[in-house]
Amino acid sequence: MSWVQAILLARGLSRGWGGICGPTLTGAPFSQVASQVLRGLHCSAATHSSHSDSSLVPDPPELSRRPIKALVPHEELFGQAPSGERDKASFVQAVQNFRQHSVRKRGHVDFIYLALRKMRQYGVERDLAVYNMLLDIFPKEVFRPRSIIQHIFVHYPRQQECGVAVLEQMENHGVMPNKETEFLLIQIFGRKSYPMLKFLRMKLWFSRFKNINPFPVPRDLPQDPVDLAKLGLRHMEPDLSARVTVYQMPLSKDSTGAADPTQPHIVGIQSPDQQAALACHNPARPIFVEGPFSLWLQDKCVYYHILRADLLAPEEREVEEIPEEWNLYYPMQLDLDYGRSSWDDYEFDIEEVEEGPVFAMCMAGAHDQATLAKWIQGLQETNPALARIPVVFRLAGSTGELLAASPGLEEPPPPPPAQGQEEEDDNLQRRQQQGQS
Amino acid sequence: MSGGGLFLRAAAAARACRALAAFTTSQRSLRTSPRSRGFAKELFLGTIEKKEVFPFPEVDQEELNEINQFMGPVEKFFTEDVDSRKIDQEGEIPKETLEKLKSLGLFGMQVPEEYGGLGLSNTMYARLGEIIALDTSITVTLAAHQSIGLKGIIIAGNEEQKTKYLPRLASGEHIAAFCLTEPASGSDAASIRTRATLSEDKKHYILNGSKIWITNGGLADIFTVFAKTQIVDSNNLIKDKITAFIVERNFGGVTNGKPEDKLGVRGSNTCEVHFENTKVPVENVLGEVGGGFKVAMNILNSGRFSMGSSVAGMLKKLIEMTAEYACTRKQFNKNLSEFGLIQEKFALMAQKAYVMESMAYLTAGLLDRPGLPDCSVEAAIVKVFSSEAAWQCVSEALQILGGLGYMRDYPYERLLRDARILLIFEGTNEILRMYIALTGLQHAGRVLTSRINEIKQGNVSTIVETVGRRLRDSLSRTVDLGLTGKLGVVHPSLEDSANKLEENVYYFGRTVETLLLRFGKTIVEEQMVMKRVANILINLYSMTAVLSRASRSIRIGLRNHDHEVLLANIFCVEAYHQNLFTLSQLDKYSPENLDEKIKKVAQQVLEKRTYICAHPLDRTS
Repeated sequence: MSWVQAILLARGLSRGWGGICGPTLTGAPFSQVASQVLRGLHCSAATHSSHSDSSLVPDPPELSRRPIKALVPHEELFGQAPSGERDKASFVQAVQNFRQHSVRKRGHVDFIYLALRKMRQYGVERDLAVYNMLLDIFPKEVFRPRSIIQHIFVHYPRQQECGVAVLEQMENHGVMPNKETEFLLIQIFGRKSYPMLKFLRMKLWFSRFKNINPFPVPRDLPQDPVDLAKLGLRHMEPDLSARVTVYQMPLSKDSTGAADPTQPHIVGIQSPDQQAALACHNPARPIFVEGPFSLWLQDKCVYYHILRADLLAPEEREVEEIPEEWNLYYPMQLDLDYGRSSWDDYEFDIEEVEEGPVFAMCMAGAHDQATLAKWIQGLQETNPALARIPVVFRLAGSTGELLAASPGLEEPPPPPPAQGQEEEDDNLQRRQQQGQS
Repeated sequence: MSGGGLFLRAAAAARACRALAAFTTSQRSLRTSPRSRGFAKELFLGTIEKKEVFPFPEVDQEELNEINQFMGPVEKFFTEDVDSRKIDQEGEIPKETLEKLKSLGLFGMQVPEEYGGLGLSNTMYARLGEIIALDTSITVTLAAHQSIGLKGIIIAGNEEQKTKYLPRLASGEHIAAFCLTEPASGSDAASIRTRATLSEDKKHYILNGSKIWITNGGLADIFTVFAKTQIVDSNNLIKDKITAFIVERNFGGVTNGKPEDKLGVRGSNTCEVHFENTKVPVENVLGEVGGGFKVAMNILNSGRFSMGSSVAGMLKKLIEMTAEYACTRKQFNKNLSEFGLIQEKFALMAQKAYVMESMAYLTAGLLDRPGLPDCSVEAAIVKVFSSEAAWQCVSEALQILGGLGYMRDYPYERLLRDARILLIFEGTNEILRMYIALTGLQHAGRVLTSRINEIKQGNVSTIVETVGRRLRDSLSRTVDLGLTGKLGVVHPSLEDSANKLEENVYYFGRTVETLLLRFGKTIVEEQMVMKRVANILINLYSMTAVLSRASRSIRIGLRNHDHEVLLANIFCVEAYHQNLFTLSQLDKYSPENLDEKIKKVAQQVLEKRTYICAHPLDRTS
């Protein structure tokens, strides 16, 4: 039943897609099947939702069904590395073991799915050569459609879907396929196949989307929390003259205890304009330390705090007037009583929500008031005016934080609030509601 | 009351313009005020005040003989005794050279005769400047001494100050310097940090602060210093205002740093000057307490016109030297002078020299008229034009000379280095362009106020008139502002050029009106628009100067006046086309107007503070 449905659906779609895919599809009437539907056919019931990224790789069905962990086929191949280390060499070794172990490549689809799942653990999920190697496991020429009938109906759908899954995982990790990939896909599935279509789309869109982000984050983030904080602060601060200051370096009780530092790091950033604005701030009005707010850098979440003030009411703002004797060389304003005409007014009518000024930002290893007070102390060295301005801590406690590490992520986010700390945080929060420094 | 008077006058002028535009009636109706408002400013209204600039100003025979007599020894001294190369290499002017300059009286050229100076008119000063320009370091030293250093005393000093200081300054016994620039303050007077506080006995000001890039800072004995002082204004509020002081070195606490190592004009002495608790007597306040800003502005505005003749003098010498080379150097059995591309460069140099000479002496003549004529816009135009022409011509000369020009053994590279500063000092050319445009726009804006208000309020008759005029303009209207024809002031052999000038002036006036209508007082923010306005005005003024001079030359039969006609016609045609292009750039919807795109590019580059394009070899796959 679902087969029929799939094919009907696909025929309709293929008409629409034909235009997009251009010359590659014009040759033969080529039916396409939406991968969603296909997946429904070939994998056990949708268990993907539990997986963190929307990969086409099916989860081992046993995991969700049975409490007893059954061995996934070929799992043993990945445990064979003599040193027990999980790196590229052992991954490659496992793949080669599979090829030697089953010369006829029986069960290669299962093995590829398994390998795809294992890639992240071995840290090779961004390695193009490894993906090519996985594709190379497929027997060549066998799945190429040879007659028109084979062309019309999906030829070896399970294998094609597996090929697509490999490419999909490459896409998720931003790996651009190369000529070798193309050559392998042609050898395995032929020119007019789903993996090839996927490949062409990747080729087309990857190049266009590669630099689409105007605020790129480096792929390999620094491991040191101080460096990471510096990076995050620079990432948020638009002013390039802003200066990053490390107010406190992290010190731990023991070398491994990053989770419970006695002295958390405090890194702040402030631009000269912010410094000037803070110097002009009216000391009668309090300023606030707010946070923590989250910032995602690649797959890491960091938290920052800001030092800000409330917006001045319009009537309280001082109008900046042009001094009478300012420019020695030419007048700074014309003494005319008419201004810009409406047809030369390029300003759009934008309803802007104005926010109060932000004077500084910081990222700290801990989000309690004591740590942040140290930041304010550090700021006072460069901003003497801060000594006279009351500072109110409005901290959201741990509520703003991401508590659970995202699945599939090996290391927890940098500041994991320990279980016991939550109570403390609540207390802290209560205190902070009345608390002023 | 005076405001009302001004309004009436403005309205009358606006009416006059309209009358002129519609019927080109007699010029008399333009003379709405007895006092002239400056030639350049009137160009903004699309009119030519031809009585101001035609005929070309002359000096009488007696004065001319006098200056020629005086120039002989000066020229001899500069060609024989001044070793510019040595001055440049050693970074200072030798003592004996300075002594000789003093004995020639060159330190007091514009100091009135009763104070021991030469009391030269502006025209004569310009003439002498041509000779002095043979050495740039001496030019700069002398200019810093008298164009700005002691100018304050002449302009704003009282009788006692004049009798006390001018004689010794004029003789060169004392050298003057002008101390305005500070590390934090270039043209921004509000950020001046040097401060003068009145002592308790109210007899002294205590001066504290540092000034940088002071020409003659190490040699000078008398400084004109600008410092912030506290004054109480009419509303009993305490305010910081700038005051000018005459400071003698022997007041104490005056020190200077070591001479700066510069790109060009290396012989002039430029250094930092520090004042530390210098006690300045109250009688040494120049002008009023708190009136320093005006003093500074007047000094700066008055010093600029002389650059025109100086650069012209330098260029004439340069043409001689390069022509000598081009006519003797042989390549492919031909002299360089026979190649078209080399000839082109000589024509360019001759043309630029001619234009700036004409402008410089026209402006000097305007300044020498009785009364206190305001020619600051004209002077700024001369400065901008001559400095840019100098840079361009020296660069072309180097091109003629090829590799030889690049060698230190020849004077050309020094001229190139020296010429670079001209675009920067005495107000950078960018700043002066703003000054030129804004002064003119302010004038035009006042005159056109009533008209623009009428249009904005939707006065039907004014709008209909404006639209009608635009229609007439678009139907290829010939403009006649009375320069040519039977009673014309321009010689018939320059008629075409004069017509081009008239056309440019007329449409410039229309464009200015449109701009004012579009931007009003916010035009201050449109710097790119103002730059174009200034460029057109510079061209218009130089065209006028050239036409006026060439007409005079033909009429009185000067030697080689046919050459002048050629130069004038070439320049006018080129400037005319430049103006047409610039006018079309000022048109809001023209394809030539790229302002928005240019701004966007600049914003994107400046946001990242780097060149942001990917490398041409980069790939995405």
